[in-house]
Amino acid sequence: MSKSSLEARIALVGNPNAGKTTLFNALTGQNQKVGNYVGATISRKSGTFFTPHGHKFELIDLPGSYSLEPNSPDEQITRGVLIGDQDGEETPDLVLCVLDATNLERHLYLLLQVIDLGYPVVVALNKIDSAEGQGLRLDPTALSEDFGVPFVPISAITSRGLTDLKQALRHPFPAPPGRLWKGPAELEEAIEKSISLSASNGASNPAAHGLMNVAQSGSKIADFIQKTRFEHIHRAVEAGLQRPDEAALALTDRIDAHALHPVRGWFIFTTLMLAVFWSIFKFAEVPMGWIEQGQASLQGLITKLIGEGDFQSLLVDGVIAGVGGVLIFLPQIVLLFFFISLLESSGYMARAAFLMDGIMNKAGLSGKSFLPLLSGYACAIPGVMATRTIPNAKERLATILILPWTSCSARLPVYTLIVPLIFAGALAQSLALFGIYALGTLTALIAARVLKPRLGKTEAPQFLLELPPYQKPQWDHVLRQVGERAFAFVKKAGTVILGLSIILWFLNTYPKSDSEDPAVQQEQSFNGQIGQLLEPVVSPLGWDNRMGTAMIASFAAREVFRSSLAISYATDEEDGEAMRDKLSASKRGDGSTLYTPLVGISIIIFFIYALQCLPTTVVVKRETGSWKWALGQLVGMTLFAYLAALLVYQVGRSLGYS
Amino acid sequence: MPSLATDLKLDSALTLSQAAIGCEFQIRRVEGPACRQLRDIGFCEQMRVKKLTNGRNMLCSVCGIRLALSKDLADQIQVVPA
Repeated sequence: MSKSSLEARIALVGNPNAGKTTLFNALTGQNQKVGNYVGATISRKSGTFFTPHGHKFELIDLPGSYSLEPNSPDEQITRGVLIGDQDGEETPDLVLCVLDATNLERHLYLLLQVIDLGYPVVVALNKIDSAEGQGLRLDPTALSEDFGVPFVPISAITSRGLTDLKQALRHPFPAPPGRLWKGPAELEEAIEKSISLSASNGASNPAAHGLMNVAQSGSKIADFIQKTRFEHIHRAVEAGLQRPDEAALALTDRIDAHALHPVRGWFIFTTLMLAVFWSIFKFAEVPMGWIEQGQASLQGLITKLIGEGDFQSLLVDGVIAGVGGVLIFLPQIVLLFFFISLLESSGYMARAAFLMDGIMNKAGLSGKSFLPLLSGYACAIPGVMATRTIPNAKERLATILILPWTSCSARLPVYTLIVPLIFAGALAQSLALFGIYALGTLTALIAARVLKPRLGKTEAPQFLLELPPYQKPQWDHVLRQVGERAFAFVKKAGTVILGLSIILWFLNTYPKSDSEDPAVQQEQSFNGQIGQLLEPVVSPLGWDNRMGTAMIASFAAREVFRSSLAISYATDEEDGEAMRDKLSASKRGDGSTLYTPLVGISIIIFFIYALQCLPTTVVVKRETGSWKWALGQLVGMTLFAYLAALLVYQVGRSLGYS
Repeated sequence: MPSLATDLKLDSALTLSQAAIGCEFQIRRVEGPACRQLRDIGFCEQMRVKKLTNGRNMLCSVCGIRLALSKDLADQIQVVPA
């Protein structure tokens, strides 16, 4: 046989989610063929690959199966191919069994069934990295001895162990280990007879057929065979798998006795969450200061290097101010993701979801929605993406739709600017900030409850979650995740925000006025003109046209509200204190104070509820697959924000507040 | 050929949500709209399961792994004393 012709057919078998398809892709690369099984709509994937010895094999990716007693059409195909009953399919020369190392005991049953059919078998012990991460210690040699087939530890995702696996598929294949259990003489005789009957009936794999027929001939025999197989698995697992030591499990149970306790659990959860939020705001201050300084020096440098003019203004007021105004939140985002990864990696996040399930349930959601909503406090975009872990489609949609009401960090600069205009004293201001976050969250949960039944018929949310043992965080994983998020954020600042900043700068700068006064220039610009057009719309909220302009600009990104106000009120200072003084001093046309507490509250209410973030709308479209939901959310939230601000201002005024 | 023993065994079957805390059970059947999801996470026929807590969401141990599931899901798992 020439080295380039096919030398054998290998069937890839495994439980769904064992990583079979990832391994198939890793082995065959581009050399794949997709077709259909004869008489079925189930797709048949096959491909070719070479071993290190130059042998060319065909690999057939059989549908995922939990066992060879089929419960679904997919499983029927797998069984059919293996026992030689599938039309148009030859039986394979070897079976490559993919087992999930993190859930070995469950996957070994299928392996035993395949071995019983009399095939030569090689085992790919997949997800070995995750298993090691969970503290499982596997002994492939002991397992190989117990099952009589080679166990090769691999990680299909990282390609770890793939060369060893190809080496193990050396041709000619090893002899099949054969059935690993023996029944009473009566049963063995029945199996013998059944095999010869299958052979005389012309079955393509009489041994497999014969055994299958006997196993299905009565529940007593089936029970006996199952029991014997499980006894074998228990023995093998005892020798070949060491779970995280008993001490670690006992420790997990001891911690869980508190962490999942209906009272103490909540105390721990609240304390942890408060500590996380406090740390985010506290520890981010210093690096945020550095970014601010860096931005100011860069602006200073460019002002010096480039002569005054539109180009200088574009770089300084447009690009650097716009991108810098967003980049300044990088430390907060990094810290939030650091804590989220830390809680996930240590195993606590699953417990938080378990606790939150009760509250989420009242809103028609489940504990699975908790993590996406928590991420929403940093930024709605990763929050929306995190909803992929919610299996129920309606629950996922409801979570996506309410998610922007968990106050993201881009709203913070607006809150920190306006809250001190309304309240004096650190305590009152902190409580106000807490109230703002609580109001957003509460409205989001109420909205979910109202919305979910209207999204169509749906079953009650189900809760199913693995609670991994507590462990030391895997620092490389934590840091990699934080790095990826930070990079994605910086990329967004460098692309979307950069583009929007340039457009905003253009709208703020043109058409040019003759006046040197930036406030006059702003008024005459396109943005200013839009603001004047908007005045009748925003004045019922207590706002003037400059606030209207800033609000329109903030639909590109909320952070722009602050810089837009800074330009409108002719202050170069983006420093909060100086800018607040300027705002407090500003008057309406009739001489009355513009920024009264009621106007401040009206602005805050608008910002709590409005979806002023175009990138979020784009991501929602991508995740829901429809502009209908994305635009509906944008319009709905903006309308709600407007009406809420209107209600607060008008009711406040009628009660005599200013 | 169902025997008396099998009948008795079937009679003693109960759902995981009815099962007592702290005892070992064997999963006899997983049936219902979420059966695939349940099998995926580890609730497969013949596996041994131990219930750790009761409540709206209960905690179980399957092969040394701690799993939490809601009552309606636990109702889809039929177990017999191991």
